[in-house]
Amino acid sequence: MIKIESVTKRFPSITALDGVSLEIREKEFFGLLGPNGAGKSTLMNLLTGYLEPTAGSISIGGEFVNRNNLEVRKKIGFVPQSLALYDELSARENLEMFGKLFGLPKKLLRERIDERLKAVELFERRKDKVKTFSGGMKRRLNMIASLLHDPVLLLCDEPTVGVDPQSRNAIFDFLTALNEQGTTIIYTTHYMEEAEKLCNRVGIIDHGKIIALGTSDELMEMLPYEETIVIAKNPSTLQHKATFEEFGTLLEEDDHFELKPGNGFLLSKLFARVEEQGMRYQWIELHRPTLEALFLHLTGRRLRD
Amino acid sequence: MKQVVRLFQNSYHVFLSDKVAVILTFIIPLVLMALFGSIFGGSSSGPQGIPFAVLNQSNSPVVRLIAASFDTMKAFQIVKSFKDSTGKEVAFDTSSIKEFVRNGKVSAAVFFPPDAYTDTSVGLTLKFYYDPKNEIETEVIQGLLRQTIYSQIPSIMVQSGFRQTERYLGTKSGRAFNTGIKSLLGQYFKIDTSIFSNPSRLMLQRQNGDTSKFSSNFFDKLIRVEQQQLVGQEFRNPWATRSVGGWAMTFLLFTLTASSSSLFDERKSGVMLRLLASPVSRVHILWSKYLFNMSLGIIQLLFMFTAGWMMFQIDVFSNFFNLLLVIVAASVACTSFGMLLAAFAQTRQQAQGLGTLLILSMSAIGGAWFPTSFMPPTIQFFSKLTFVYWSMDGFLQVLWRGLGTSAIALNVGILFGIGALLNVVSVWQFRRGRIFD
Repeated sequence: MIKIESVTKRFPSITALDGVSLEIREKEFFGLLGPNGAGKSTLMNLLTGYLEPTAGSISIGGEFVNRNNLEVRKKIGFVPQSLALYDELSARENLEMFGKLFGLPKKLLRERIDERLKAVELFERRKDKVKTFSGGMKRRLNMIASLLHDPVLLLCDEPTVGVDPQSRNAIFDFLTALNEQGTTIIYTTHYMEEAEKLCNRVGIIDHGKIIALGTSDELMEMLPYEETIVIAKNPSTLQHKATFEEFGTLLEEDDHFELKPGNGFLLSKLFARVEEQGMRYQWIELHRPTLEALFLHLTGRRLRD
Repeated sequence: MKQVVRLFQNSYHVFLSDKVAVILTFIIPLVLMALFGSIFGGSSSGPQGIPFAVLNQSNSPVVRLIAASFDTMKAFQIVKSFKDSTGKEVAFDTSSIKEFVRNGKVSAAVFFPPDAYTDTSVGLTLKFYYDPKNEIETEVIQGLLRQTIYSQIPSIMVQSGFRQTERYLGTKSGRAFNTGIKSLLGQYFKIDTSIFSNPSRLMLQRQNGDTSKFSSNFFDKLIRVEQQQLVGQEFRNPWATRSVGGWAMTFLLFTLTASSSSLFDERKSGVMLRLLASPVSRVHILWSKYLFNMSLGIIQLLFMFTAGWMMFQIDVFSNFFNLLLVIVAASVACTSFGMLLAAFAQTRQQAQGLGTLLILSMSAIGGAWFPTSFMPPTIQFFSKLTFVYWSMDGFLQVLWRGLGTSAIALNVGILFGIGALLNVVSVWQFRRGRIFD
């Protein structure tokens, strides 16, 4: 449905995208995972036609996207990273303003507005000015402002930035339901948990290039190990950091260490070494590796670096 | 205290990060200082090139001398003829010189009738026609006129008076009579009578600011000026009628510059991105902004003129169609100016800084605050390149002179022309600029 062919986007001081090719299928929930500055937002802006590629092409349902093709934009809903709302207007007024641009009949637009406001639990606040809303409420409103025309493709550019966990879950539920109803979603994030939780397929982007693409399982197969060893962080384990580093790459988190096993790793050898050091086994857990681990494996950097 | 210092440093850091805004902070007062300096002092020693019509029908050498002295004055640009409907240059007569003033070609005219000064005259009689469209300018013209006449007349008239006396009474009796007269005048006006032997000292006294009873009364009695206001006698509040255009233009410019700068807010908030992800093009956005600002300008001007009607009894309705034409043309030009600023500035701060600089400069040199004739010739030239000048002039033609569509056609045409030109430059810059990227 969405075909991105050898797309390059250069700005005067940087190449934001470098020969990106992707195909996203209809009704897919596609995640684009990458650190800040990887080129995710640039790709989204190219998909909306806001920016023109320096080279390559993008088509949606067979129609080429460019600055002048306004018809193709009727198929798209775009949730920008920033809160693109008028603070001095009410929630309803904002939705009416943006909905009108898609040429919806007045009655239908009103019905859709009420329906969407109810879906994100903002109906009771519909007459209140947006400036009185919490960050999470604004995020939800920001999202439904892009859905009034029932787009077949929804582009979400990091829609949960700065959102509390409760609102974040509400957004996830809303998007999942929407995808189940048949809306194709492209979702950019630098939170690997979001990509893993929501997306059928994930593309990992770094320095303007897609460095990995597939379902979570397919991506995990790219890792040379199947498990990540999580070690609790305490005075005893801190003392034996060097011991763990003998077995692979050790990442230090706030409350634990994560050991990404190196080549020829055997769990039995680790346990033997741990016993030698006089440590207790209950401090060690085995976890399925995350996309974060894959990113680290592929780039040598962490997503949040 | 350390925190205050840190915050103080932070404020400078943020301020200095926008180089253009920094430059404008210093450039704006500098340019305005230079502008006001050149208008009120510095490079200029007073008003220059004020158009002033002169018609002399007197054959008297005294009057000829006075009329000729106008030609040498830098302050005046003397006009003695006009172009008729066939384009032929025709010398003024008593009615055409008045019409010339009424049509706003000049602010004032002086007419020396055939009997302005004769050998039997005691003083000089002349007629002064004026259009007080700009009070300051009219007063300056009157002042210069009196000064010119006074500077010429004492030596001629006093000597001539004594000569006439001696001619009629004989040399001996005449001299005795003149001595008596001098003595009487000296006693009555309490002045040194030796000035009658050197009449040019009379002028010096006035130039030096001597405001003695003599110099004011004596000359005022010698020179009889019939003043006739040709325009605006019927207005209840002439001052407001003349000024409303200037106020309206200055406020309109500020409103439209701020409104055009809303593009920056929409870009910053992401609304621009959302709009451009909808079936909306950049051209749509620019047109909608343009139409909004233009209509806002028209509404604001209509509001101001209506308020002027209510508060100052300015007659805005008797020539409403033509007033509306100028309002629309002025709004088009101002809107285009606002869009130009938005196109060239990189941030709202830059647009506002640049806007303030240009608005104050254009209002100053365009004649919104003081007469353009007070400015040096170069600035007077640039004045005519500003849409403030043409808008102000249009409002004057319509409200002050009550003239019709043909009289404002040039103003309206130029304003639309300026608007179109600014739009072309804006569109070119919007294509190159970063407001949408």
